[in-house]
Amino acid sequence: MRTRILLLGLALVLICSTAFAADEIRVGSINDLTGATSDVGKDAALGIRECVKFLNDSGGIEGKKIKLFLYDYGYRVPEAITIYKRFRDYDKINLLLQWGTGDTEALSPTVNRDKMVTISDSLSGHLCDPKKTPYNFVYSTDYSTNARAALTVWYEEVWKKSDKWKKDREAGKKPKLVCFYMFASPYCSAPIKAIKDQAKLLGMEVGKDQNVSLVALDAKSQVLGAKQEHPNVIWHGNTTMSVATAVKDAYALKLGADHIVNNWGFDKNLVRMTGKAGEGVIGAASCAFVGMDVPYMDKIVEYCKKVNPGVPIEKRTIRTVQAWLKVSLASAGLSGALKKGKLDGPTIKASLESLKGWYPFNTKNALGRGPYTITATDHRPTPVALLYTIKAGKIELLKKINMQEKFPKEWPKWLGW
Amino acid sequence: MDLFLQLFITGVMLGSIFALVALGWVLIYKCSGVLNLAMGELTLIGGYVCLGLYQSFVKSMPLTTAFLLAIVGTLIIGLLLGLLTERIFLRKMIGEPILAVIMVTVGLSFFFKGMVFIIWDTDTQVFLPRVFPIDPIVLGGVAIGQVYIWSFIAALVLMVVFVSFFKYTRWGLSMQACADDEMAALSLGVSAKFVYALAWGIAFMSAGVGGTLLGNINGLNYSVSSLGLLVLPVVVFGGLNSVPGAIVGGITIGVLQNLAGGYLDGYFPGGIKESAPFIFMVVFLLFKPYGLWGWERIERV
Amino acid sequence: MSYLPCGTYFQSYADDHKWWRTSFIKSKMILMVILLAILPYVVDSQWLSVAYTINYYILAGLGVQLLIGYCGQITLGHAAFVAVGGYTCAMMLLFVPWPQSMVDAGLVYPITIVCAGFLAAIWSVLFGLPSARVKGFYLIMTTMAAQWITVPLVITQYVAQIGGRGQAFSIPPDMIKIGPWAIDSDTKIYYFSVLLVAVCLIAMGNMVRSKLGRAWIAIRDNDIAAETMGVNIVVYKLLAFWVAGFFAGVAGAFYLSALFFVSPEHYEWFYSLLWVGIILIGGVGSIQGLVFGAAFVVIVFKVLEMAVLGASSALMASYPELGWMTTKFIFFKEACFGLAIILFLIYEPNGLSYRYWQLKNYFNLWPFSYTGK
Repeated sequence: MRTRILLLGLALVLICSTAFAADEIRVGSINDLTGATSDVGKDAALGIRECVKFLNDSGGIEGKKIKLFLYDYGYRVPEAITIYKRFRDYDKINLLLQWGTGDTEALSPTVNRDKMVTISDSLSGHLCDPKKTPYNFVYSTDYSTNARAALTVWYEEVWKKSDKWKKDREAGKKPKLVCFYMFASPYCSAPIKAIKDQAKLLGMEVGKDQNVSLVALDAKSQVLGAKQEHPNVIWHGNTTMSVATAVKDAYALKLGADHIVNNWGFDKNLVRMTGKAGEGVIGAASCAFVGMDVPYMDKIVEYCKKVNPGVPIEKRTIRTVQAWLKVSLASAGLSGALKKGKLDGPTIKASLESLKGWYPFNTKNALGRGPYTITATDHRPTPVALLYTIKAGKIELLKKINMQEKFPKEWPKWLGW
Repeated sequence: MDLFLQLFITGVMLGSIFALVALGWVLIYKCSGVLNLAMGELTLIGGYVCLGLYQSFVKSMPLTTAFLLAIVGTLIIGLLLGLLTERIFLRKMIGEPILAVIMVTVGLSFFFKGMVFIIWDTDTQVFLPRVFPIDPIVLGGVAIGQVYIWSFIAALVLMVVFVSFFKYTRWGLSMQACADDEMAALSLGVSAKFVYALAWGIAFMSAGVGGTLLGNINGLNYSVSSLGLLVLPVVVFGGLNSVPGAIVGGITIGVLQNLAGGYLDGYFPGGIKESAPFIFMVVFLLFKPYGLWGWERIERV
Repeated sequence: MSYLPCGTYFQSYADDHKWWRTSFIKSKMILMVILLAILPYVVDSQWLSVAYTINYYILAGLGVQLLIGYCGQITLGHAAFVAVGGYTCAMMLLFVPWPQSMVDAGLVYPITIVCAGFLAAIWSVLFGLPSARVKGFYLIMTTMAAQWITVPLVITQYVAQIGGRGQAFSIPPDMIKIGPWAIDSDTKIYYFSVLLVAVCLIAMGNMVRSKLGRAWIAIRDNDIAAETMGVNIVVYKLLAFWVAGFFAGVAGAFYLSALFFVSPEHYEWFYSLLWVGIILIGGVGSIQGLVFGAAFVVIVFKVLEMAVLGASSALMASYPELGWMTTKFIFFKEACFGLAIILFLIYEPNGLSYRYWQLKNYFNLWPFSYTGK
């Protein structure tokens, strides 16, 4: 029996290795389908597949088809390294797509040594400084910019305008920020330094951080801890499940503060889970949500239905759109490199770094994003952060804020936070 | 004082869910001596089954009826699954070394997890329309979520049911006899196979209720199964083979966790809330290894 | 080493206790050494990484085999001690200001390996202390608590936060160097792992056949009887934890050379369970069983992974609209792995080493082998 299994395995390896055509672009993608972030990871992986299919259907990149290698790593860093080695030595990929903050930052020295361009779903600000991580690119505003933008928008739109804080505001009180996040998670802790800096910049006070686990079932003790400091706004740095827990517990215990959320904690599921407790929550997003009226959303919906008919369209979330954005940025780099006739790391990097006023799929405002400008000294694609809010159980665009225009002096200094 | 009271009550309520899951665990251990490491997955299965039933029932009937029916359905399916699991996998392990049996439950946990996600996928699923209203009930200045109150009630009811089941019914007595001395029970005509199967069935049922309640707090996904491990400090505290011990242990661990989160977090930033039960467990093992009401075995050469 | 052709007699106790008792065994061993040496030249780097993963599992499983198989102390938290080893090694490489001469001479990594072993050993003894008082299920709980306190609390929350944000410590490539040899390619990692495994297995084998090992086995078989026979069970149990922890530390330090960085996810509870699974699959109380078990688990996982990959790409090629099914295949793999463990334990409770022993006996007695059960 065992030999039969082995033979079967070997046969499958042969099948895999025969499919080797010279005239294709090989893209490797490390995704989480089984691990701790599989609740959002699955949608993203489906989105990557669909977008690659869409690109291939519409003629490929410069006439070349993309061959996608999508492997699951279960949110385990060691597994990501093993897969990366396989990509590099065996599948011989031209470009790498990655998932988590932990594995992206861990692999970053290696990809730099191998000159492998990497676009990650982790939008950590650390990956934006080409001096430290020359081969890492991010496809949207980084976490630190998100955090700064969310806080700024809250300060300007809510604190200064709403009736809720009128009394405090007129009494000359300084608003207070408290951060809820999992200290030990690299994703959660990435923007904390930035948001505290921003709070200082805006003249706000900062309370003690509260540690909320990513799998927290209740956050009452944390909410009570925060309540003693009377915060006006809470930053949630976690993912949807635990953000929902904290928002609901804050509602139950009448914390009274407003909530601002990072992009991986803000989606349709948050609305579903929090119900009316979630009204007015402000969240950063990397792109438009599924079903919003922006160019190419029709294509996404069409391909969702076409490629993955087994998954109902109501279940698709913003993670799919993010995946399209990611692949679209990758395709921009690849097509630039192909125009120069060379498909190696430095050329792809150079072509990504020459993007100026770029829109996804070269269509204005596609996926609610753009224009992107990436340079050799700054890998932050755009200073425009998208802030959404929950209103009557629906996600609505609250504001697009251009952080560079708002803080022209500080913006260059924020690179790599 | 307000803070303490709020933390304490929250702990009691949350602990009652742990207690429910621990109840099933204790039952399996008590009857068949199996240390079950697949409890988290049993919880997950129960939650997903109930969710699936609820979503199909709620289309045609009022909310409460649908939910109650879904729970009844979960209990029935849980019982069947428990009987099947025991029959297929664990019956063959009777008499094997304990470690092998433990590893079988580990294998089961992989198997169940794989199957659950093949059927239900990994994205977060939510009980919609919401079963328990989101507004908390305020009692004397302490706000309690309604899910928590119901889980507390469910835990109490189940405990009463289990205790009376063991004390007054024929099956319960035979289970107790089997747990006490298998050989003597067998010679008196108790069917050990039946007892083991029943224990697994009941464990699936109580884990199903626990999973349903957990799923109602937020939603169901991967992370629910990781809570299954919290069962272990609970049962160590209460004693591995004591039903009231599981309830008291669950509530104590819930309270402990919340108090640690509320008061110790300032001194040990990060993670103390999640690790407190396990630290407590080690200390407890050192001083009172057989738990509050566990049986102390006297060994002879 | 349990079998001996009939007609072979030993004149002295020392002969009987030799490692390689007959020339047949000797030639078999030499053949194995040659095979291990030429492996990198016949397989590609993918399978080489499988080979050193097997070696890593052997190193890590060694302590588990010692505790469970020889001393009867069930442990379900061994990844914690491997973690201590891995982190000690990484922290020392990164934060100790080593003089450049030592770095150039390649002394740093060997020193850290030894330190990692010692620290992991101390940590292991710390959590072995309750074994003086409790046993069976309660000891399982304590070792599990070791896992939960060490990895998610101490390492994730405190140790991994040293030196700023980020869980992963990347090791500068020139630090992993033994003497003049920098370990920087799969081939070198493989040879290093083989060497380390050989040293550790020999050490383990020698321990087991000495007074120490006999005391452990006595404790395993009946600790109360052992105590009445004059074995100080507390000391020997703690010694077992010490040695097991040391091996775990070495394993953790070794794996750094393969991955070049360390993060808490290397040491999830899953691995503790996996290593126990390995010795159950291979055979409890047998060193070669450990090798078989590690090889079996790693290869099965690899084959399942390739089967899933092959099946999904075949599906994608012929039925692209069924692409969403490929996600399910991964869970199918997980379920299969679980099922494989269960079936193995049900139908092969004595492990692979028992089968191996049967096979050897069969050939030994051929053509007159007794095939009945």
